[in-house]
Amino acid sequence: MSTYAAGLSADIGIALLGGLSVYVILATGQLSLGNAAFMAVGAYLASALTVYAGLPLTAALMLAGLASGFLGVLVGFPALRLRGIYLAMATLGFGEMTRSFFLDFAPAGGAGGFRGMGPVSTAYIWAWSASLLVGVVLLERSRLWLEFRAVNDDERAADLIGLNTTAIKVGAFGLGAAIAGVAGGLFAYHQLYIEPGMFGFDRSIEMVLYVVLGGSTVAVGPLLGATLLVLLPEFLRFLADWRLAAFGALLILVLLFRRQGIIDRGMFRGLSRRKWATP
Amino acid sequence: MRIPNEGGLEMKRRLSYWAAAISATALMAGTTSSWAASDVQSAAAPPEIEIGAIVPSSGPFAEWGKANTITLKMLEDKVNAVGGVNGAKLHIVIYDDGARPAQAANLVRKLADDDKVLAIAGPLTSSAAEVAFPVANQAKLVATSQASSKPGVAANNRPWAFRNTVDEGVLAKSTVPYFKKAFGIRSVAIVYDAKDAVSTAIANRVMPAIVKDNGINIVNGASPISFNTGDIDVSAQVTALKGLNPDGVVIGADYSQAVTVIREMKRQGFVKPVIGGTPLISSAILKAAPDLPIVAPATYYPGVEGEGAANFTKDLTPLLRKGSGLPAGIEPSMYDANIYEIVSMYVDAVRKGGVALQAPKLASDRERIMSYMTGLKGFRGLSGPISFNKDGDAIKAFFVVLGKDGKWTEQVRGCSGPDGKGC
Repeated sequence: MSTYAAGLSADIGIALLGGLSVYVILATGQLSLGNAAFMAVGAYLASALTVYAGLPLTAALMLAGLASGFLGVLVGFPALRLRGIYLAMATLGFGEMTRSFFLDFAPAGGAGGFRGMGPVSTAYIWAWSASLLVGVVLLERSRLWLEFRAVNDDERAADLIGLNTTAIKVGAFGLGAAIAGVAGGLFAYHQLYIEPGMFGFDRSIEMVLYVVLGGSTVAVGPLLGATLLVLLPEFLRFLADWRLAAFGALLILVLLFRRQGIIDRGMFRGLSRRKWATP
Repeated sequence: MRIPNEGGLEMKRRLSYWAAAISATALMAGTTSSWAASDVQSAAAPPEIEIGAIVPSSGPFAEWGKANTITLKMLEDKVNAVGGVNGAKLHIVIYDDGARPAQAANLVRKLADDDKVLAIAGPLTSSAAEVAFPVANQAKLVATSQASSKPGVAANNRPWAFRNTVDEGVLAKSTVPYFKKAFGIRSVAIVYDAKDAVSTAIANRVMPAIVKDNGINIVNGASPISFNTGDIDVSAQVTALKGLNPDGVVIGADYSQAVTVIREMKRQGFVKPVIGGTPLISSAILKAAPDLPIVAPATYYPGVEGEGAANFTKDLTPLLRKGSGLPAGIEPSMYDANIYEIVSMYVDAVRKGGVALQAPKLASDRERIMSYMTGLKGFRGLSGPISFNKDGDAIKAFFVVLGKDGKWTEQVRGCSGPDGKGC
């Protein structure tokens, strides 16, 4: 594998985690447009813990994930009072607030950015990405996930049958934020340099797009979305100046024909039914 | 019993699965075939001088990137029109990074491994260079930025990273004294693009220190006024600036954002001299408010004296004006001159440095280019001789220019070498 292919593969692994972080929160019916902020916290914290405190990267990533998750829980509480577009706007505001904080936070380099990280292999990045993907797939088969879906489908009904909707919604925010934090730490170690501009609104939108394009009802949806969104702009280079226009047109086409994303639960159900029907 | 409508839905579902599968397969097949085609091509092609370039032809700096592309094509044609170098034709592989750091880093990998270039010109922005230079260092491939001027970007990535630009801190030491003297400046207010790293560095670190050293009072030093990249309404910021009543305004922004501030200053009747860094230099900013004086440093501007620069301006201007997506009255920018010089240096290295241009010797060829750049002395640049300091930044002539009435005029000429010597 060339270093170019390896670089793209690492990008997909990190993007997958970004997509999963949105996917888990979205499973409870909450749309977060501020996940880049959790990624920023993870990126800066993992970098500082390794560069300043000399911690091993794996330990630093775990701590970065925990810290981002804790922040996610804190953000999740006020988010309980908001729904739909208002929640999206509030998380967007949180994202911009975090970006501005790092812009002015001199110990993390401020606008000058933060460096000093060493390179990590694509295999290391994928070890994290694959593990967390498997974790989310297993979560999908658990009772807890059914509770997530119940809150998503009808929060009031879920409340009436005795589910703790507050804990479920806040917990989903925390879990999504923790995954985003790990993604941020891996991103910092893949790019070897971070600055606040890398964790802006456009990054949050990309993370949502991985889910919207790939599929928002199965965990492998964000994997497909991340793969397409990382690879498409590269493979359309032969179109020169029309590259991004073609990329946008393709996205619109896919969403026109597959509003629920390219992969959905129905597709898996269809495949499994056919499998059972085979003599 | 089968419900007719259910059959239709089933058919529709199947069709959409097939459509998704076919799209994905076509995409992957297209990719594989393009990779295969490029492999076949590289195996059959005669020896060429393969140089890579990373320019932002899309995104916020598209004007600079598109102009860079035309500049490089002009240079390629010029070199090949006289038979190339030692019989080998020049081929510049140009990629668009959209000014996105992650894309710039991947393009360095692509140029290093897939295109097997000798060296890279670019990336343009400091943010992209921060991420791309470490990759170039790992790949042992020279990368020289045509525009990055944020302090220390090449210095952190030696020995393979270079910049054909001058550090903003060095330039400001000449622009600020001229600004003070020419306009009798005793106080300034600062406004800057908080989303851009270079703009923030200029407004918060570089300018305040040098402005204070020159005895100028910063009226909003504790809380400079900020806006964000892409803001189209900066009326509140300009109203606040006007309320501070400074003698001059320091703008930390690239030209595309500074134009918005300058237009608003003109609209509010706040016509005060403006000072900034190299990102202010562009033909577009001159048209925003022709009666508002703008002071900025540059290592090239259209109209700079000298045969090399004059010919460059004469040859490139009509090509740029024919280029699609560029303003009608566009003139070559400093970054066009810089990237032209960078690739010219690589070509000169091939001519003089005994570069083999054979695939098995690619690593040693790249090493020779690095040695050539490190030891470069007196390369004939468009505005004078060029060499590189130990930080990988260019030692070259620079000018403090005044933009007024639609043109840039030279006010001060300096040299970025130690004690102003070496140019």
